[in-house]
Amino acid sequence: MKALDLAGTAVTNTLRSKLRTFLTVIAIVIGAFTLTLTSGLGTGINKYVDTMVEGFGAPDELTVSKQADGVSTVAGGEPTEYDPDAAASGEMFGLPLLTQEDLDAIRATEHVTDVETARLVEPDYIEGEDGRKWEVPLMGSSFEIDMLSLAAGRAPAAEGDALEVTVPADWVESLGGVAPDDVLGQEVTLVASDPLGAQSGVDAIVVGVTEQVASGSGSGPVPSPELEQRLHDVTTQGLPEEQRNTYFQATVTVEGMPENEAAVKAALGEQGYQAQTLEDQLGVIRGIIDAVTWVLNGFALIALLAASFGIINTLLMAVQERTREIGLMKALGMTGGKIFGLFSLEAVVIGLLGSLIGVGLGVAVGLVANQVLTQGVLSGVTGLVLFAVNPWALLLIIGLIVAIAFLAGTLPAARAARKDPIEALRHE
Amino acid sequence: MSTAVATPGVAEVPPGAEPVLETENLVKVYGRGASRFDALKGITLQIQRGESLAVVGKSGSGKSTLMHLLALLDQPSAGVVAMDGRPVSQLKAAEISQLRNERFGFVFQQFFLNPNQTVLENTVLPLKIAGVGRAERTRRGMAVLERLELADKAKNKATDLSGGQKQRVCIARALVNEPTVLFADEPTGNLDSATSAAVEDILFGLHREEGITLVVVTHDDDLAARCGRRLEMQDGRIVSDERAGSLVGASSAAPGPTGTEARA
Repeated sequence: MKALDLAGTAVTNTLRSKLRTFLTVIAIVIGAFTLTLTSGLGTGINKYVDTMVEGFGAPDELTVSKQADGVSTVAGGEPTEYDPDAAASGEMFGLPLLTQEDLDAIRATEHVTDVETARLVEPDYIEGEDGRKWEVPLMGSSFEIDMLSLAAGRAPAAEGDALEVTVPADWVESLGGVAPDDVLGQEVTLVASDPLGAQSGVDAIVVGVTEQVASGSGSGPVPSPELEQRLHDVTTQGLPEEQRNTYFQATVTVEGMPENEAAVKAALGEQGYQAQTLEDQLGVIRGIIDAVTWVLNGFALIALLAASFGIINTLLMAVQERTREIGLMKALGMTGGKIFGLFSLEAVVIGLLGSLIGVGLGVAVGLVANQVLTQGVLSGVTGLVLFAVNPWALLLIIGLIVAIAFLAGTLPAARAARKDPIEALRHE
Repeated sequence: MSTAVATPGVAEVPPGAEPVLETENLVKVYGRGASRFDALKGITLQIQRGESLAVVGKSGSGKSTLMHLLALLDQPSAGVVAMDGRPVSQLKAAEISQLRNERFGFVFQQFFLNPNQTVLENTVLPLKIAGVGRAERTRRGMAVLERLELADKAKNKATDLSGGQKQRVCIARALVNEPTVLFADEPTGNLDSATSAAVEDILFGLHREEGITLVVVTHDDDLAARCGRRLEMQDGRIVSDERAGSLVGASSAAPGPTGTEARA
């Protein structure tokens, strides 16, 4: 029998007992549907992480910080010897800060083309023209200047000594405006306190209004470098010189990142610095997302396992019912191999039918749910993607289910292939 | 296997004709130990091309087993089946299947028609199994249905037919691959006498006009009487072999080791 005839016969036979086929297909649809949703969820969230990466910076950059000794936080053991230089440079979040000396060392590393630093300043409040004061929960940094999404105006000048700032769109009303354009040109005062608590302010002009992007850039006021420096001067007033010129971390541009990434990391590591690409930093998050996705996929696979027993059952019944037909076909010269092919193809047809319907439903429901949730309950999370379609993943799901169906079909198909024609023809 | 034991002096078979099927000392045993049953106890037999052979006997005489072995549906426990002088019973399963598909036609007591398929689809099943293309299948299927006066029913479902029509479809299915040998197992067993006569007319018409070798297993003496040769079986042995009224030589009635011993 030709392959095409075999397939055609298999399709016809599948449709012979419609209700039974339908019920078997439903079980597969459930598995395929779940798999589509869970893998789409993984794809969607990972896509969201990707857009965050894009918002954070260029792929040829490393974020470098000083490695903590580690020993100091462990209880017991021998005490670490006191190093006045290390102590003088201070620390932040438990990590030692980078000094000017460190930056020079990093700059001297091979393949490093540029080292940029950004200070983290924390003003106490911002005061508008009307004299009202507002807390600044999250101060932006001058390195965000290139990544801003502007609702009005322009970004602060990246160089020079202009005292400029952008404000988030949410702040427009508080600053006495209605439309974003209304606050442009307004003079605001950013007030910070020195280590002893004495407050002093720096005046700046509002030049732009920002919209928040997925990476979080633009969610706080973004200062020009000069403004940032002035605020830094305020907050570090009276501190020894070593501690005034320190940075939490540095952004290092590397030439030929793909080839040199490992070398630069190793070189910096030897000198006691920790260097990470954005991928490294997000790798952990991505790992967690993937793990959760696979756990969910596991549940879907369990559903498919149950469905495969449905296929076995259905086909065993079909083999039993069609015993005489099998006997006739064998008597008329059909080989056992072709009989096997006929029944395993029936299993494949069932699997294909179930996976196509299930994947189709899954994609439809996933896309609608994504729309509804991200526009509704979760609209606060900018750029969130809960479900995304990855055609290769869908093809993989269909392939997997067809393979499972085929495997399930081998038992009944082998039973059919082994039937003795004489016995089968006598079957009542 | 030589033709030296060919039956002499029988009018129906021309002298020196090649036997299409022959067996030598064919034994078939079912089960073992206490439940052992010797269905065939050493059958040596030749069937000439163009012959019409009726195998008769009571239930359990071994006539169906003999047909199954001749038709290569089953493997003998011992002995040889040869086709066109070539031993075939030891061929590979796939080769035997192909041989059955190309050289044999089958008509069964029960019709074994697929109720979901049309008359034409049922008829061309052997061609479909052989891997013949759709257009060619339809052409040859319609030709054979035409000959059996069923062309107008080609598109009907097989279940819409009367018993006689169903058996005609079965004959059409058996003929569609233009077989050398047509095996009929109680072909009229499910039909009333008038329909039986019509079906017999078709079978013997084909035998006469196309020279198809006919092997009929039957209880029906009338049907057996229309065959050119009558083989009577009892307890796994051939007890008589007559051709158009005259006895055939004793080649097939060679006594077994235990003669007329009754079986358990």
